[in-house]
Amino acid sequence: MNLVIPNRRAFACGSLAASLLAMPSSAGFVMGGTSIGVTTSAGTGSQTNSMTQISPTTWSATGSWSTPTASVSWMNNTFGWNNTSQNGFANGNITVRNNTSAAQDFDVVLNMGGTAGGPLSVSGSIGGQFVNGSTSLGSVTSVGPLWQARVDNSAIRSELNNALFFAQPFQVISLGNFNFTNLLFDGSVGSSVALQFSLRLSAGGEASFTSTIAFQSVPAPGVAALIALAGGCGTSISPIGRRRRSIRS
Amino acid sequence: MTIGKGLGEVLHPVGRFGKGTGKMRYIVLFGAVTLAAAPASAAVTPPAFSFRVSADGVAGGGVASDFGSVQQTGANEWLFSGAYLASPGTSLSWTYLVDSDPFVTGTFTMTNETAAARAYVIDFSLPIAPALSASLLSGQVAGTLTDANGSGSALLTSVGGGFVYSALADDAFVQGLMANASHQVSTANGTSSFSGGSFGFPTPVAGPAINLTIGIRFSFSLSAGDSVSFSSVFVANPVPGPATLMVAATFAAIGRRRRTS
Repeated sequence: MNLVIPNRRAFACGSLAASLLAMPSSAGFVMGGTSIGVTTSAGTGSQTNSMTQISPTTWSATGSWSTPTASVSWMNNTFGWNNTSQNGFANGNITVRNNTSAAQDFDVVLNMGGTAGGPLSVSGSIGGQFVNGSTSLGSVTSVGPLWQARVDNSAIRSELNNALFFAQPFQVISLGNFNFTNLLFDGSVGSSVALQFSLRLSAGGEASFTSTIAFQSVPAPGVAALIALAGGCGTSISPIGRRRRSIRS
Repeated sequence: MTIGKGLGEVLHPVGRFGKGTGKMRYIVLFGAVTLAAAPASAAVTPPAFSFRVSADGVAGGGVASDFGSVQQTGANEWLFSGAYLASPGTSLSWTYLVDSDPFVTGTFTMTNETAAARAYVIDFSLPIAPALSASLLSGQVAGTLTDANGSGSALLTSVGGGFVYSALADDAFVQGLMANASHQVSTANGTSSFSGGSFGFPTPVAGPAINLTIGIRFSFSLSAGDSVSFSSVFVANPVPGPATLMVAATFAAIGRRRRTS
Protein backbone atom coordinates (compact mmCIF):
# COMPACT_ATOMS: atom_id res chain seq x y z
CA MET A 1 0.00 0.00 0.00
CA ASN A 2 2.68 2.43 0.98
CA LEU A 3 4.56 1.58 -2.21
CA VAL A 4 1.59 2.34 -4.45
CA ILE A 5 0.62 5.74 -3.17
CA PRO A 6 3.90 7.55 -3.97
CA ASN A 7 3.74 6.16 -7.47
CA ARG A 8 0.23 7.50 -7.90
CA ARG A 9 1.34 10.86 -6.60
CA ALA A 10 4.35 10.93 -8.87
CA PHE A 11 2.15 10.08 -11.81
CA ALA A 12 -0.36 12.79 -10.93
CA CYS A 13 2.31 15.46 -10.49
CA GLY A 14 4.04 14.40 -13.68
CA SER A 15 0.78 14.73 -15.57
CA LEU A 16 0.20 18.21 -14.17
CA ALA A 17 3.68 19.34 -15.11
CA ALA A 18 3.21 18.05 -18.62
CA SER A 19 -0.13 19.86 -18.85
CA LEU A 20 1.41 23.15 -17.75
CA LEU A 21 4.30 22.84 -20.15
CA ALA A 22 1.84 22.25 -22.95
CA MET A 23 -0.15 25.42 -22.18
CA PRO A 24 -0.09 28.18 -24.74
CA SER A 25 2.59 30.77 -23.85
CA SER A 26 0.06 33.40 -22.85
CA ALA A 27 2.74 35.46 -21.09
CA GLY A 28 5.12 35.49 -24.00
CA PHE A 29 5.40 39.19 -24.72
CA VAL A 30 8.27 39.24 -27.14
CA MET A 31 9.83 42.57 -27.97
CA GLY A 32 9.78 43.43 -31.61
CA GLY A 33 11.54 46.77 -31.32
CA THR A 34 10.78 50.20 -29.98
CA SER A 35 10.12 53.27 -32.07
CA ILE A 36 9.18 56.88 -31.45
CA GLY A 37 6.93 58.89 -33.73
CA VAL A 38 6.53 62.67 -33.58
CA THR A 39 3.93 64.68 -35.46
CA THR A 40 3.52 68.40 -34.88
CA SER A 41 2.07 71.50 -36.43
CA ALA A 42 5.48 73.09 -35.82
CA GLY A 43 6.87 71.35 -38.90
CA THR A 44 9.07 68.42 -39.73
CA GLY A 45 12.27 67.65 -37.91
CA SER A 46 15.14 65.24 -37.73
CA GLN A 47 15.20 62.38 -35.28
CA THR A 48 17.82 60.34 -33.52
CA ASN A 49 17.15 57.35 -31.31
CA SER A 50 19.75 55.26 -29.56
CA MET A 51 18.89 51.83 -28.18
CA THR A 52 21.09 50.58 -25.35
CA GLN A 53 20.74 47.17 -23.74
CA ILE A 54 20.92 47.65 -20.01
CA SER A 55 20.01 44.09 -18.98
CA PRO A 56 19.34 40.83 -20.83
CA THR A 57 15.69 41.82 -21.29
CA THR A 58 15.69 45.59 -20.86
CA TRP A 59 16.48 48.24 -23.41
CA SER A 60 16.82 51.97 -23.05
CA ALA A 61 15.65 54.23 -25.86
CA THR A 62 17.24 57.66 -25.72
CA GLY A 63 16.88 60.25 -28.39
CA SER A 64 15.41 63.43 -29.70
CA TRP A 65 13.40 64.94 -32.49
CA SER A 66 14.22 68.51 -33.29
CA THR A 67 13.72 71.39 -35.62
CA PRO A 68 14.43 75.07 -34.98
CA THR A 69 10.75 75.48 -34.11
CA ALA A 70 10.29 72.60 -31.68
CA SER A 71 11.95 69.71 -29.95
CA VAL A 72 11.01 66.44 -28.34
CA SER A 73 13.45 64.40 -26.27
CA TRP A 74 12.98 61.12 -24.49
CA MET A 75 14.59 58.51 -22.32
CA ASN A 76 12.52 55.36 -21.95
CA ASN A 77 13.24 51.88 -20.74
CA THR A 78 11.37 48.97 -22.25
CA PHE A 79 11.29 45.47 -20.91
CA GLY A 80 10.47 42.36 -22.89
CA TRP A 81 8.13 39.93 -21.26
CA ASN A 82 9.09 36.32 -21.54
CA ASN A 83 7.65 34.38 -18.64
CA THR A 84 4.94 34.51 -16.03
CA SER A 85 7.15 35.97 -13.36
CA GLN A 86 8.09 39.12 -15.24
CA ASN A 87 6.20 42.18 -16.31
CA GLY A 88 6.49 43.61 -19.75
CA PHE A 89 6.72 47.33 -19.30
CA ALA A 90 7.83 50.67 -20.55
CA ASN A 91 8.67 53.66 -18.46
CA GLY A 92 10.44 56.90 -18.94
CA ASN A 93 10.25 60.56 -19.71
CA ILE A 94 9.25 62.58 -22.73
CA THR A 95 9.89 66.33 -22.87
CA VAL A 96 8.22 68.46 -25.53
CA ARG A 97 9.12 72.07 -26.26
CA ASN A 98 7.56 74.67 -28.53
CA ASN A 99 10.13 77.22 -29.72
CA THR A 100 7.76 79.18 -31.91
CA SER A 101 5.83 82.35 -31.11
CA ALA A 102 2.45 80.63 -31.48
CA ALA A 103 0.69 77.63 -29.97
CA GLN A 104 1.52 74.30 -31.59
CA ASP A 105 0.08 70.79 -31.46
CA PHE A 106 2.21 67.75 -30.74
CA ASP A 107 1.52 64.05 -31.03
CA VAL A 108 4.20 61.73 -29.71
CA VAL A 109 3.90 57.94 -29.79
CA LEU A 110 6.20 55.46 -28.07
CA ASN A 111 5.51 52.20 -29.85
CA MET A 112 6.69 48.80 -28.66
CA GLY A 113 6.25 45.95 -31.10
CA GLY A 114 5.38 42.62 -29.54
CA THR A 115 2.79 39.96 -28.98
CA ALA A 116 1.14 38.48 -25.91
CA GLY A 117 -1.80 36.23 -25.24
CA GLY A 118 -4.53 37.50 -22.98
CA PRO A 119 -6.05 38.05 -20.61
CA LEU A 120 -3.69 40.66 -19.21
CA SER A 121 -3.63 42.82 -16.13
CA VAL A 122 -2.43 46.33 -16.91
CA SER A 123 -1.13 49.00 -14.57
CA GLY A 124 0.37 52.37 -15.33
CA SER A 125 0.76 55.99 -14.44
CA ILE A 126 1.57 59.44 -15.72
CA GLY A 127 2.84 62.57 -14.05
CA GLY A 128 4.38 65.73 -15.37
CA GLN A 129 5.42 69.34 -15.23
CA PHE A 130 4.96 72.39 -17.40
CA VAL A 131 7.47 75.19 -17.79
CA ASN A 132 6.42 78.46 -19.35
CA GLY A 133 9.61 79.80 -20.89
CA SER A 134 7.99 82.89 -22.32
CA THR A 135 7.14 86.36 -21.09
CA SER A 136 3.40 85.78 -21.64
CA LEU A 137 0.84 83.61 -19.92
CA GLY A 138 1.48 80.03 -21.02
CA SER A 139 -0.64 76.91 -21.20
CA VAL A 140 -0.68 73.23 -21.99
CA THR A 141 -3.91 71.61 -23.12
CA SER A 142 -4.88 68.13 -24.17
CA VAL A 143 -5.84 67.42 -27.77
CA GLY A 144 -8.30 64.65 -27.05
CA PRO A 145 -6.88 62.59 -24.19
CA LEU A 146 -3.41 63.85 -23.38
CA TRP A 147 -2.17 60.36 -22.49
CA GLN A 148 -3.31 57.04 -23.88
CA ALA A 149 -2.18 53.45 -23.50
CA ARG A 150 -2.92 51.65 -26.74
CA VAL A 151 -2.90 47.99 -27.76
CA ASP A 152 -2.86 47.25 -31.46
CA ASN A 153 -3.72 50.88 -32.11
CA SER A 154 -6.80 50.88 -29.87
CA ALA A 155 -6.91 52.84 -26.62
CA ILE A 156 -7.31 50.75 -23.49
CA ARG A 157 -6.79 53.59 -21.02
CA SER A 158 -6.60 57.36 -21.17
CA GLU A 159 -5.64 60.01 -18.64
CA LEU A 160 -5.60 63.79 -18.55
CA ASN A 161 -8.73 64.10 -20.65
CA ASN A 162 -9.74 67.71 -21.28
CA ALA A 163 -6.62 68.93 -19.50
CA LEU A 164 -5.88 72.65 -19.28
CA PHE A 165 -3.07 74.16 -17.25
CA PHE A 166 -1.84 77.76 -17.10
CA ALA A 167 1.49 79.11 -15.96
CA GLN A 168 2.78 82.63 -15.49
CA PRO A 169 5.94 83.73 -17.34
CA PHE A 170 8.90 81.60 -16.28
CA GLN A 171 6.72 79.63 -13.90
CA VAL A 172 7.02 75.88 -13.33
CA ILE A 173 3.87 73.98 -12.42
CA SER A 174 3.13 70.37 -11.57
CA LEU A 175 0.56 68.64 -13.77
CA GLY A 176 -0.27 66.13 -11.05
CA ASN A 177 -0.13 62.37 -11.27
CA PHE A 178 -2.57 59.69 -12.33
CA ASN A 179 -2.22 56.01 -11.48
CA PHE A 180 -4.19 52.87 -12.28
CA THR A 181 -3.73 49.23 -11.39
CA ASN A 182 -5.28 45.88 -12.22
CA LEU A 183 -6.97 47.03 -15.39
CA LEU A 184 -8.17 43.78 -16.97
CA PHE A 185 -7.57 43.51 -20.69
CA ASP A 186 -9.33 40.45 -22.08
CA GLY A 187 -7.80 40.60 -25.52
CA SER A 188 -4.39 39.67 -26.78
CA VAL A 189 -1.57 41.86 -27.99
CA GLY A 190 -1.33 41.12 -31.67
CA SER A 191 1.40 43.48 -32.74
CA SER A 192 2.11 46.43 -30.48
CA VAL A 193 1.67 48.34 -27.26
CA ALA A 194 1.98 52.10 -27.41
CA LEU A 195 1.93 55.21 -25.25
CA GLN A 196 0.55 58.28 -26.97
CA PHE A 197 0.81 61.92 -25.90
CA SER A 198 -1.37 64.52 -27.59
CA LEU A 199 -1.05 68.12 -26.47
CA ARG A 200 -1.05 71.76 -27.42
CA LEU A 201 1.72 73.96 -26.09
CA SER A 202 1.71 77.73 -25.96
CA ALA A 203 4.63 79.70 -27.36
CA GLY A 204 7.80 78.95 -25.45
CA GLY A 205 6.10 76.20 -23.47
CA GLU A 206 7.75 73.00 -22.34
CA ALA A 207 5.92 69.97 -20.99
CA SER A 208 7.58 66.97 -19.44
CA PHE A 209 5.80 63.67 -18.81
CA THR A 210 6.95 60.64 -16.91
CA SER A 211 4.81 57.59 -17.47
CA THR A 212 4.75 53.84 -17.10
CA ILE A 213 2.77 50.92 -18.39
CA ALA A 214 3.13 47.32 -17.27
CA PHE A 215 1.51 44.08 -18.33
CA GLN A 216 1.11 40.92 -16.31
CA SER A 217 -0.58 37.76 -17.48
CA VAL A 218 -3.78 36.69 -15.76
CA PRO A 219 -3.97 32.89 -15.66
CA ALA A 220 -7.26 31.51 -16.94
CA PRO A 221 -9.35 29.72 -14.25
CA GLY A 222 -8.40 26.27 -15.52
CA VAL A 223 -4.73 27.14 -15.56
CA ALA A 224 -4.94 28.61 -12.09
CA ALA A 225 -6.50 25.40 -10.82
CA LEU A 226 -3.76 23.32 -12.41
CA ILE A 227 -1.09 25.57 -10.91
CA ALA A 228 -2.67 25.28 -7.48
CA LEU A 229 -2.82 21.52 -7.78
CA ALA A 230 0.72 21.27 -9.08
CA GLY A 231 2.00 23.59 -6.39
CA GLY A 232 0.46 21.36 -3.80
CA CYS A 233 2.43 18.32 -5.00
CA GLY A 234 5.42 19.32 -2.95
CA THR A 235 3.49 20.51 0.06
CA SER A 236 0.98 19.25 2.51
CA ILE A 237 -1.87 21.37 1.22
CA SER A 238 -2.91 19.37 -1.83
CA PRO A 239 -5.66 16.76 -1.77
CA ILE A 240 -3.06 14.19 -2.75
CA GLY A 241 -0.88 15.14 0.20
CA ARG A 242 -3.79 15.10 2.56
CA ARG A 243 -4.90 11.71 1.29
CA ARG A 244 -1.42 10.32 1.72
CA ARG A 245 -1.21 11.53 5.30
CA SER A 246 -4.63 10.13 6.08
CA ILE A 247 -3.66 6.71 4.73
CA ARG A 248 -0.42 6.71 6.75
CA SER A 249 -2.29 7.50 9.89
CA MET B 1 16.54 89.73 -21.34
CA THR B 2 15.10 92.36 -19.12
CA ILE B 3 17.42 94.98 -20.47
CA GLY B 4 16.40 94.15 -24.01
CA LYS B 5 12.75 94.38 -23.22
CA GLY B 6 13.27 97.62 -21.37
CA LEU B 7 15.10 99.11 -24.31
CA GLY B 8 12.26 98.25 -26.58
CA GLU B 9 9.82 99.99 -24.34
CA VAL B 10 12.06 103.04 -23.81
CA LEU B 11 13.02 103.47 -27.45
CA HIS B 12 9.47 103.32 -28.64
CA PRO B 13 8.72 107.02 -27.93
CA VAL B 14 11.80 108.09 -29.92
CA GLY B 15 10.13 107.58 -33.26
CA ARG B 16 7.08 109.42 -32.17
CA PHE B 17 9.26 112.31 -31.06
CA GLY B 18 11.18 112.53 -34.34
CA LYS B 19 9.47 115.76 -35.35
CA GLY B 20 10.39 117.63 -32.20
CA THR B 21 12.68 120.62 -31.74
CA GLY B 22 16.40 120.54 -32.48
CA LYS B 23 17.26 120.45 -28.80
CA MET B 24 14.97 117.57 -28.23
CA ARG B 25 16.42 115.74 -31.23
CA TYR B 26 19.88 116.13 -29.71
CA ILE B 27 18.74 114.69 -26.41
CA VAL B 28 17.06 111.80 -28.13
CA LEU B 29 20.10 111.16 -30.32
CA PHE B 30 22.38 111.27 -27.25
CA GLY B 31 20.20 108.81 -25.47
CA ALA B 32 20.07 106.50 -28.44
CA VAL B 33 23.85 106.60 -28.88
CA THR B 34 24.34 105.92 -25.19
CA LEU B 35 22.06 102.94 -25.31
CA ALA B 36 23.55 101.68 -28.55
CA ALA B 37 26.99 101.80 -26.94
CA ALA B 38 25.89 99.31 -24.31
CA PRO B 39 27.67 95.98 -24.60
CA ALA B 40 26.09 93.88 -27.29
CA SER B 41 25.43 90.39 -26.03
CA ALA B 42 24.32 88.69 -29.24
CA ALA B 43 25.96 85.29 -29.12
CA VAL B 44 27.17 83.48 -32.20
CA THR B 45 28.45 80.35 -30.51
CA PRO B 46 26.60 78.37 -27.86
CA PRO B 47 27.64 78.95 -24.28
CA ALA B 48 29.57 76.24 -22.49
CA PHE B 49 26.52 75.02 -20.60
CA SER B 50 27.84 72.16 -18.51
CA PHE B 51 26.71 69.52 -16.06
CA ARG B 52 28.30 67.58 -13.25
CA VAL B 53 27.00 64.32 -11.83
CA SER B 54 28.08 62.81 -8.55
CA ALA B 55 26.63 59.41 -7.63
CA ASP B 56 27.65 58.34 -4.15
CA GLY B 57 30.74 60.48 -4.54
CA VAL B 58 31.74 59.18 -7.98
CA ALA B 59 31.92 62.21 -10.26
CA GLY B 60 31.24 62.63 -13.96
CA GLY B 61 29.89 65.17 -16.39
CA GLY B 62 30.99 67.52 -19.12
CA VAL B 63 29.82 70.18 -21.54
CA ALA B 64 26.19 69.49 -22.42
CA SER B 65 26.66 70.02 -26.14
CA ASP B 66 29.14 67.11 -26.19
CA PHE B 67 26.38 64.74 -25.11
CA GLY B 68 23.51 65.78 -27.34
CA SER B 69 22.29 68.62 -29.48
CA VAL B 70 22.20 72.38 -29.16
CA GLN B 71 20.32 74.90 -31.26
CA GLN B 72 19.88 78.63 -31.15
CA THR B 73 16.30 79.68 -30.49
CA GLY B 74 16.81 83.41 -29.94
CA ALA B 75 19.44 86.15 -29.94
CA ASN B 76 20.95 84.81 -26.71
CA GLU B 77 18.84 81.71 -26.20
CA TRP B 78 20.05 78.18 -26.73
CA LEU B 79 18.28 74.89 -26.34
CA PHE B 80 20.31 71.93 -25.12
CA SER B 81 19.05 68.35 -25.28
CA GLY B 82 21.09 65.33 -24.41
CA ALA B 83 21.71 62.25 -22.38
CA TYR B 84 24.51 60.92 -20.24
CA LEU B 85 25.06 57.38 -19.02
CA ALA B 86 27.18 57.50 -15.90
CA SER B 87 28.59 54.24 -14.71
CA PRO B 88 27.60 52.36 -12.85
CA GLY B 89 23.86 52.45 -13.34
CA THR B 90 22.98 56.13 -13.57
CA SER B 91 21.29 57.52 -16.65
CA LEU B 92 20.50 61.18 -17.13
CA SER B 93 18.72 63.09 -19.90
CA TRP B 94 17.91 66.77 -20.18
CA THR B 95 16.27 69.55 -22.16
CA TYR B 96 17.38 73.01 -21.05
CA LEU B 97 16.77 76.45 -22.47
CA VAL B 98 19.47 78.87 -21.40
CA ASP B 99 20.18 82.54 -21.93
CA SER B 100 23.52 84.03 -21.04
CA ASP B 101 21.72 87.28 -20.19
CA PRO B 102 20.91 85.07 -17.97
CA PHE B 103 18.44 82.34 -17.13
CA VAL B 104 18.36 78.56 -17.00
CA THR B 105 15.13 76.63 -17.39
CA GLY B 106 14.30 73.09 -18.36
CA THR B 107 13.85 69.50 -17.33
CA PHE B 108 16.11 66.60 -16.53
CA THR B 109 15.26 62.99 -15.81
CA MET B 110 17.45 60.60 -13.89
CA THR B 111 17.12 56.87 -13.27
CA ASN B 112 18.92 54.89 -10.61
CA GLU B 113 19.45 51.58 -12.34
CA THR B 114 21.40 50.04 -9.48
CA ALA B 115 20.09 47.69 -6.81
CA ALA B 116 20.51 50.15 -3.94
CA ALA B 117 19.44 53.66 -3.03
CA ARG B 118 22.04 56.25 -3.98
CA ALA B 119 22.80 59.85 -3.19
CA TYR B 120 23.17 62.17 -6.16
CA VAL B 121 24.41 65.69 -6.72
CA ILE B 122 23.70 67.09 -10.18
CA ASP B 123 24.82 70.57 -11.21
CA PHE B 124 23.91 72.54 -14.31
CA SER B 125 26.10 75.59 -14.87
CA LEU B 126 25.88 78.42 -17.39
CA PRO B 127 28.52 81.07 -18.14
CA ILE B 128 26.95 84.52 -18.19
CA ALA B 129 27.68 87.76 -20.03
CA PRO B 130 27.77 90.50 -19.08
CA ALA B 131 28.58 90.20 -15.38
CA LEU B 132 25.98 91.54 -12.98
CA SER B 133 27.06 94.05 -10.34
CA ALA B 134 23.89 93.24 -8.44
CA SER B 135 21.07 90.85 -9.24
CA LEU B 136 17.40 90.14 -8.79
CA LEU B 137 16.64 86.45 -8.51
CA SER B 138 13.72 84.11 -8.99
CA GLY B 139 13.42 80.36 -9.19
CA GLN B 140 11.04 77.45 -9.01
CA VAL B 141 10.99 73.66 -9.19
CA ALA B 142 8.50 70.82 -9.66
CA GLY B 143 9.01 67.16 -10.28
CA THR B 144 7.69 63.65 -10.72
CA LEU B 145 8.89 60.52 -8.93
CA THR B 146 8.28 57.15 -10.59
CA ASP B 147 8.42 53.55 -9.46
CA ALA B 148 10.30 52.65 -12.60
CA ASN B 149 11.05 49.04 -11.72
CA GLY B 150 7.56 48.14 -10.60
CA SER B 151 8.71 47.17 -7.13
CA GLY B 152 5.73 48.83 -5.51
CA SER B 153 7.58 51.75 -3.99
CA ALA B 154 9.86 54.67 -4.77
CA LEU B 155 11.43 57.20 -2.45
CA LEU B 156 13.10 60.56 -2.98
CA THR B 157 14.59 62.44 -0.06
CA SER B 158 16.87 65.37 0.44
CA VAL B 159 20.33 64.52 1.72
CA GLY B 160 20.88 65.38 5.35
CA GLY B 161 17.80 67.56 5.43
CA GLY B 162 19.35 69.98 2.97
CA PHE B 163 17.85 71.57 -0.13
CA VAL B 164 17.04 69.43 -3.13
CA TYR B 165 17.17 72.55 -5.35
CA SER B 166 19.92 75.12 -4.86
CA ALA B 167 20.35 78.19 -7.04
CA LEU B 168 24.04 78.93 -7.57
CA ALA B 169 25.81 82.17 -8.47
CA ASP B 170 29.50 81.79 -9.27
CA ASP B 171 29.15 78.27 -7.85
CA ALA B 172 28.03 79.66 -4.49
CA PHE B 173 24.66 78.98 -2.91
CA VAL B 174 22.17 81.87 -3.13
CA GLN B 175 18.71 80.33 -2.70
CA GLY B 176 17.30 76.91 -1.90
CA LEU B 177 14.05 74.96 -2.25
CA MET B 178 12.74 71.61 -1.03
CA ALA B 179 14.53 71.44 2.31
CA ASN B 180 13.85 68.25 4.28
CA ALA B 181 12.02 66.84 1.27
CA SER B 182 10.57 63.36 1.27
CA HIS B 183 8.36 62.08 -1.53
CA GLN B 184 7.27 58.55 -2.11
CA VAL B 185 5.30 56.30 -4.43
CA SER B 186 3.50 53.36 -2.92
CA THR B 187 1.87 51.91 -6.06
CA ALA B 188 3.61 49.51 -8.40
CA ASN B 189 4.58 51.39 -11.58
CA GLY B 190 3.05 54.52 -10.06
CA THR B 191 4.10 58.13 -10.14
CA SER B 192 3.91 61.01 -7.70
CA SER B 193 4.19 64.60 -8.83
CA PHE B 194 5.17 67.41 -6.51
CA SER B 195 5.60 71.14 -6.50
CA GLY B 196 8.87 72.09 -4.89
CA GLY B 197 8.04 75.73 -4.24
CA SER B 198 9.54 78.95 -5.49
CA PHE B 199 11.39 82.11 -4.57
CA GLY B 200 11.23 85.53 -6.16
CA PHE B 201 7.69 85.10 -7.50
CA PRO B 202 6.11 87.46 -8.24
CA THR B 203 8.69 89.91 -6.88
CA PRO B 204 12.32 88.91 -7.48
CA VAL B 205 14.56 88.83 -4.44
CA ALA B 206 17.84 90.72 -4.17
CA GLY B 207 20.93 88.71 -5.02
CA PRO B 208 24.67 89.18 -5.13
CA ALA B 209 26.97 90.36 -7.87
CA ILE B 210 27.43 87.56 -10.37
CA ASN B 211 30.59 87.52 -12.45
CA LEU B 212 30.96 84.17 -14.15
CA THR B 213 28.17 81.64 -13.87
CA ILE B 214 24.68 80.87 -12.69
CA GLY B 215 23.50 77.35 -12.07
CA ILE B 216 21.15 74.94 -10.37
CA ARG B 217 22.22 72.12 -8.08
CA PHE B 218 20.01 69.13 -7.35
CA SER B 219 20.96 67.04 -4.35
CA PHE B 220 18.86 64.04 -3.37
CA SER B 221 18.73 60.37 -2.55
CA LEU B 222 16.78 58.07 -4.89
CA SER B 223 15.64 54.51 -4.26
CA ALA B 224 16.87 51.58 -6.32
CA GLY B 225 15.49 51.12 -9.80
CA ASP B 226 13.45 54.30 -9.76
CA SER B 227 13.48 57.57 -11.62
CA VAL B 228 12.79 61.22 -11.00
CA SER B 229 12.17 64.17 -13.29
CA PHE B 230 12.71 67.80 -12.28
CA SER B 231 11.54 70.88 -14.15
CA SER B 232 13.05 74.07 -12.87
CA VAL B 233 13.92 77.65 -13.60
CA PHE B 234 16.47 80.10 -12.26
CA VAL B 235 16.47 83.69 -13.50
CA ALA B 236 19.00 86.37 -12.56
CA ASN B 237 18.17 89.85 -13.74
CA PRO B 238 20.50 92.81 -13.39
CA VAL B 239 19.58 95.55 -10.97
CA PRO B 240 19.31 98.73 -13.01
CA GLY B 241 22.42 100.82 -12.35
CA PRO B 242 22.51 104.62 -11.90
CA ALA B 243 23.49 105.25 -15.51
CA THR B 244 20.67 103.09 -16.83
CA LEU B 245 18.24 104.77 -14.51
CA MET B 246 19.46 108.21 -15.63
CA VAL B 247 18.96 107.39 -19.30
CA ALA B 248 15.54 105.94 -18.58
CA ALA B 249 14.66 109.02 -16.53
CA THR B 250 15.73 111.25 -19.44
CA PHE B 251 13.37 109.48 -21.79
CA ALA B 252 10.63 109.52 -19.21
CA ALA B 253 11.05 113.27 -18.88
CA ILE B 254 10.89 113.63 -22.63
CA GLY B 255 7.69 111.67 -22.68
CA ARG B 256 6.17 113.80 -19.96
CA ARG B 257 7.19 117.05 -21.70
CA ARG B 258 5.67 115.88 -24.95
CA ARG B 259 2.41 114.95 -23.28
CA THR B 260 2.19 118.31 -21.55
CA SER B 261 3.07 120.32 -24.67
